[in-house]
Amino acid sequence: MLKITDLHASVGDKEILKGINLEVKAGEVHAIMGPNGSGKSTLASVIAGNEKFTVTSGSVTFEGEDLLSLPIEDRARKGLFLGFQYPVEIPGVSMANFMKIAVAEQRKYKGLEPLSPAEFLKLMREKSAIVELDSKLTSRAVNEGFSGGEKKKNEIFQMAMLDPKLSILDETDSGLDIDALRVVATGVTRLKRADNATVVITHYQRLLDYIVPDYVHVLYKGRIIYSGDKSLALKLEKEGYDWLINDYKE
Amino acid sequence: MGVEQLIESGLLQPFCGGVLESAAHPAVAVNPKSLDVKVANGVSARLVLLYTTSSQSVVNIDIDRDASLDIVAIYAADSYVSVSVNQSEGSVCKTMSALVSSSNVTYNYALNGVGAESVFNAVFVVEGREHSTLNLNTRHLTSDCKSCSLVKGVSAGNSTGEFHGLVYVAPDAQRTDAQQQSRNIELDNSRIISLPQLEIYADDVKCSHGSTVGYSDAEALFYMRQRGLSLAAARRLQIEGFINDVVSRCDMEGICSVLHDAVTAKLERL
Repeated sequence: MLKITDLHASVGDKEILKGINLEVKAGEVHAIMGPNGSGKSTLASVIAGNEKFTVTSGSVTFEGEDLLSLPIEDRARKGLFLGFQYPVEIPGVSMANFMKIAVAEQRKYKGLEPLSPAEFLKLMREKSAIVELDSKLTSRAVNEGFSGGEKKKNEIFQMAMLDPKLSILDETDSGLDIDALRVVATGVTRLKRADNATVVITHYQRLLDYIVPDYVHVLYKGRIIYSGDKSLALKLEKEGYDWLINDYKE
Repeated sequence: MGVEQLIESGLLQPFCGGVLESAAHPAVAVNPKSLDVKVANGVSARLVLLYTTSSQSVVNIDIDRDASLDIVAIYAADSYVSVSVNQSEGSVCKTMSALVSSSNVTYNYALNGVGAESVFNAVFVVEGREHSTLNLNTRHLTSDCKSCSLVKGVSAGNSTGEFHGLVYVAPDAQRTDAQQQSRNIELDNSRIISLPQLEIYADDVKCSHGSTVGYSDAEALFYMRQRGLSLAAARRLQIEGFINDVVSRCDMEGICSVLHDAVTAKLERL
């Protein structure tokens, strides 16, 4: 589904990704871990197309198609979803209106008929139930005045609404209390199917108790320096990154 | 419904000056050259000022003791307008104003009576080669008055939008509460000039002012595009949201949809 080959990316003169290789297949869950500042969020942003970063070399394909030549919105319409670490507030734009436009644009791109208002409302009700999102929030401005937990639930709600093929969840667990973490993580697992894939970026093993990964990768200084199965996350939780980093020479 | 239909169906009452009474439906003055308005003691009235052709206009309003007046003003054509409001003790004036043309509009509020209150909301949207100026002078002339203003502007193309705001607090105007906010977004090669000022001669006052001029928020655009919105749609939604935050505070029946339509039509041209 997603194939990243020797990906290098910079912000300004500073190279952050220094040759990433990663392949994600349908039905898989990958976890990306690593110390702060190792490039995890940059990787997510670059895949989604954030113009703050410049790709200097390498390739990213999504279902065989060159992703890097596509604008941000076309990547999204093809089924790529990024759950933001810091969801952005959009004053004056209601969540319901935002989702109505997003769903309509994505359906149009796929050549599907637009949803009727009744169908849309039904979809909103169904999907907000997945993450126990208070229905009052959908009439409020996007992320404005939402608590940390509500913002993250709102990300997963949007993921449910848009039904992406590949979801990259950037520290969706950060800032959540134990109950909210359970709700968010359970929501993600309920959306998992054999024909979609999930990449979770996280610092904590706890999230992976719910969203069980097939692969765990350690990103350090812009490279994936180690990959393993779910037991790697447990080992990292216990022993930290030192044993890996000490072995690693730039 | 347009304004003419609203007038025909009686939802707006034509008004050419004089004493304004409490009425089932708001009064409307369309392109008035000069308008003198009085709101008598204890009366709650509503007034719509509408400029649809190029106009020069002077509006004088007296609001008596404990009376209140809601004003909605739409500047849809290039106009040169001065609106002066004199407020007596305990009176309240709420103004919602939209400049969607090359206009020069001055509002003068004189808070003459103890406990008078002014709430002022406005937007201006300019594009092409337009130049719009909004002047707001709020004079706290006695104690315990309150004023709160929020002005949002968007400029595009090669246009210029100006906001000049002055809050004056007289030496005797103790316990004044004055807030003034100016928020602006500049697009393309356009220019925003925002000059909020405070002139305070009393010591026991609570005054704040803020002014920002920014570009479209790149992170918000990225967020919206990541959900599948085109760049143009994301930008439009962001600007609409920014402006609607003010426009949605309109609570005068009938005319709100006219105000909303005028602003939306203008935003579609950006």
